[in-house]
Amino acid sequence: MASSKGYSGKILKVDLTTGKFEEIETEKYKSWGGGHGIGSAIFFDLCTDKTIKGTDPGNVVTLMTSPLSGTLAPSVAGRTEVQGIGIQAYPIGWFTRSNFGGRFSTQLKFAGWDGIVLVGKSPKQVWLNIINGEVKLQDATDLWGLNTRETQEEIWARVEPSKKESGWINMGVSRDSGRTTQHPAVITAGPNAEKFGPMAALVHDAGNGAGQGGFGGVFASKNLKAISVVGTGGVDIADANALMAARMWSNGYAFGGHHDDPASYTGLTSFASTPGKPLSTIQDNPAGTKSRPQGCVGCIRNCRGRTDTGKGNESQCVDFFWYDHHDVKANGHVTDASPRAADAIQLAGVNAFAVEAATLWIEQLYNKGIMGKGKKIDSNLPFDRFGSGEWAEAFINSIVTQTDIGKELCKGVAQAALAWGRLEMDTKSGILPLQEWGLPHHYDARTEVEWGYGSLLGERDINEHDFNWHVYWTPTINGLFGVEPVVSAKRLSEIFAKKTAPFNDPMMINYSDEGIYSEAMAKTVAWHRHYTRFYKQSMLFCDWAWADMVNPYGPDNEGMTSVGENKFMNAVTGGDMTFEQGMEIGRRIWNLDRAVWALQGRHRDIEKFSEYCYTTGAQPGTTTYEAPYTMPVFEDNEWSYKSVAGRVLDRQRVEDWKTLFFKLEGWDVKSGWPTRETLEKLDLANVADELEKAGKLGA
Amino acid sequence: MKDKGTTLNPRSSEPDKGKTFSRREFVTSIGGVGIGAVLGGMFVSSIALPDKVFAVPASGGYLLVDTKKCAGCTSCMMACSLTHHGETNMSLSRIQITQDPWGKFPNDIQMAQCRQCPYPACVAACPTGAMHADPKTGVRTVDEDKCIGCEKCVNACPFTPSRALWNFEEKHAEKCDLCEGAKFWDEVGGPDGKRACEEVCPMGAIKFTKEIPVQSEDGYETDLRTGTVWDSLGFGGAPQSGGHLG
Repeated sequence: MASSKGYSGKILKVDLTTGKFEEIETEKYKSWGGGHGIGSAIFFDLCTDKTIKGTDPGNVVTLMTSPLSGTLAPSVAGRTEVQGIGIQAYPIGWFTRSNFGGRFSTQLKFAGWDGIVLVGKSPKQVWLNIINGEVKLQDATDLWGLNTRETQEEIWARVEPSKKESGWINMGVSRDSGRTTQHPAVITAGPNAEKFGPMAALVHDAGNGAGQGGFGGVFASKNLKAISVVGTGGVDIADANALMAARMWSNGYAFGGHHDDPASYTGLTSFASTPGKPLSTIQDNPAGTKSRPQGCVGCIRNCRGRTDTGKGNESQCVDFFWYDHHDVKANGHVTDASPRAADAIQLAGVNAFAVEAATLWIEQLYNKGIMGKGKKIDSNLPFDRFGSGEWAEAFINSIVTQTDIGKELCKGVAQAALAWGRLEMDTKSGILPLQEWGLPHHYDARTEVEWGYGSLLGERDINEHDFNWHVYWTPTINGLFGVEPVVSAKRLSEIFAKKTAPFNDPMMINYSDEGIYSEAMAKTVAWHRHYTRFYKQSMLFCDWAWADMVNPYGPDNEGMTSVGENKFMNAVTGGDMTFEQGMEIGRRIWNLDRAVWALQGRHRDIEKFSEYCYTTGAQPGTTTYEAPYTMPVFEDNEWSYKSVAGRVLDRQRVEDWKTLFFKLEGWDVKSGWPTRETLEKLDLANVADELEKAGKLGA
Repeated sequence: MKDKGTTLNPRSSEPDKGKTFSRREFVTSIGGVGIGAVLGGMFVSSIALPDKVFAVPASGGYLLVDTKKCAGCTSCMMACSLTHHGETNMSLSRIQITQDPWGKFPNDIQMAQCRQCPYPACVAACPTGAMHADPKTGVRTVDEDKCIGCEKCVNACPFTPSRALWNFEEKHAEKCDLCEGAKFWDEVGGPDGKRACEEVCPMGAIKFTKEIPVQSEDGYETDLRTGTVWDSLGFGGAPQSGGHLG
């Protein structure tokens, strides 16, 4: 990216140990694009010992924006990428990432910063206050035990002057200091988050969470409660007219551009991808609840909602789903318990995926007579009211206060299972749905392998729906409704082939029993890792709108991806980056991350799914989304959609597939470590040097 | 930041020829053509009537907003500053969206757009004529070269937050001009063109009209939802749900 447009030009480095601030010139890291790429590169440079634990003061945490943050690029502008050594994965807390929406990245850009780098540990409890170029660490002793809402509202009161000028908040001493009508954007950990660190999220506004990785606990370990930012500047755009034109072009791919004649395409328009309706089915409130769709800055989707009760505000998807099906099972339909459960995790700052897996498991343990009052795992939680709001709140409270079963769960789900002597047994039977690295099963590695492989060869549940909407949800929903998908399996393979440069292989979406071990599936996983590392985690295109692969409003049902991303980027930056060039930066970032994991102890020998993936087909009640699981397959020289539910993975064939994948990536097939040749081609000779020094360079 | 509106009746911006106006009617509904004729082509945008009533031509159009429909994405704010200033900067946006993440719908979001007031206090307060009504379109706007930075227009605006704002980067007042002066946008703005905020709103919560809108104490009584497909999105109440798949 030759142009500086879109960037603020500087990154704030905060040394929490000394209380000193430095500016890092963004220019130094701009070849990485933004977001994750810059975060990984800074982490690599500043974290001198990458084998430390996430709670070590030496951990380096980054919160990064992208050149598109605070711009009109649709469903991009509000997201912030968080990175550092995590404390949630088991047995090693990998260098990991999370990502949250809202307004934080926008305000950070408006304040003149491309990102924040946190190093060291504060000697006392503090919060970071950023008002434009003015940065202060302030005492957080009285904020430490507050929940996420209380913390944010208290910080607003401290930052916003009581006197406003005609309704505008003057952010300085003179009238030219800048004015705004916007509240400061605050990201915060929950109450005393250091005590339930592996379960602790960071939360911004009512429902934007960086959930995975335990970054709430990492913040608390640094004696940092929250970061507040408000800015009155702007983002300089290279070609304003082109950006407006691109935005209007994208509107043609969205519900908002077709509300007079919405698509009847089954499987997408209800909830997924760019054409999805605002709000829609991903929020579960009791019947009669009135609500509006609500979106992050610049969003074209607006997927969450705010309600007339104020309950469940801004929560969506797993924020509700961790408990809604228990609510329905107990009460016959969605009740007040579902939004209460959503609010409980948001206010406490607890990771929804972790409690989702834990709750499925706890239900099994209770039903088997293993957990409960006076049982082997003693608990006074009100199990007779399982499915009620009271149970959900009591359960979350037990984690936050480290009482009852929360005494162990506060250390993490896998860690609790270990303490109760059940980790091996329950991950073998599958009643404890931790799919890889002790992290919650989300989509099924046995059926939708790109999700499982990506999570296993990475460091977390990928939570990237680029393939998922189209290869799983759409055919599965069509099957449930008994209708033929508008886009046939063959046509789907053509669309994916067109959009997955540089591989462009139609066999990449072959989820047959043979296809999941094929070289084409290695290309799928590689493309997905590279695409998401750059476009979604560095440029920060939101997962709930991008990639836009299949779109009922697009020509021949083709979405914006491979054209749209760069159209927006180039309008903002003034560059001329091609889609393929972005993919190559993504490959570079993925290799850098892989090198960090190697330094932390990663080896192919430990890259194994939990035992249940190899031995047990999906069982209703133990994981999410078990059956049916209808996917595109190429069998007997024909494409079709077919249910692959119940499939288990073949241990040896997974190993053979890993070898194919490592060859494709140019990594050592024996260890899975990057080689010098591969790294040097990516201009990462310094990374090869560090791996070699540590004895972790691939042969 | 409650938006205290003024109760008005819907009126066309085109005056009825020959009609006798009361003073109140005059200031609230006189049309651009009529005042243009009165002024005889002079480049004056406001006059003081003999009984000291301040009158300007009615705006050629108005932005209607459906606050209940707004999703709070603030795309309108960024489009406004982008097309006028070449940067996305919410502090320079002439439409402001404020919200409370924990608020109860519909009181969680306020949309603050310029009303193009029939009696524009901002214009009346301006000592230099910088704040004026465009003689051709009636749109209330700022001649930046004439602005002396006194901020009387900002303080005179009866709404909160003030729809006239201080551009602290370029040091002049500014306000919504219905994109007549959107110099970073190739599209033609103004009452007969396009408005950037209206174009980018993914919810269709902003709509242009040439009719003076009905207002209440809480703002415009605008409903851009009822009877449309938007109705299905839960504004009027969620359907019974059996939870999510899986």
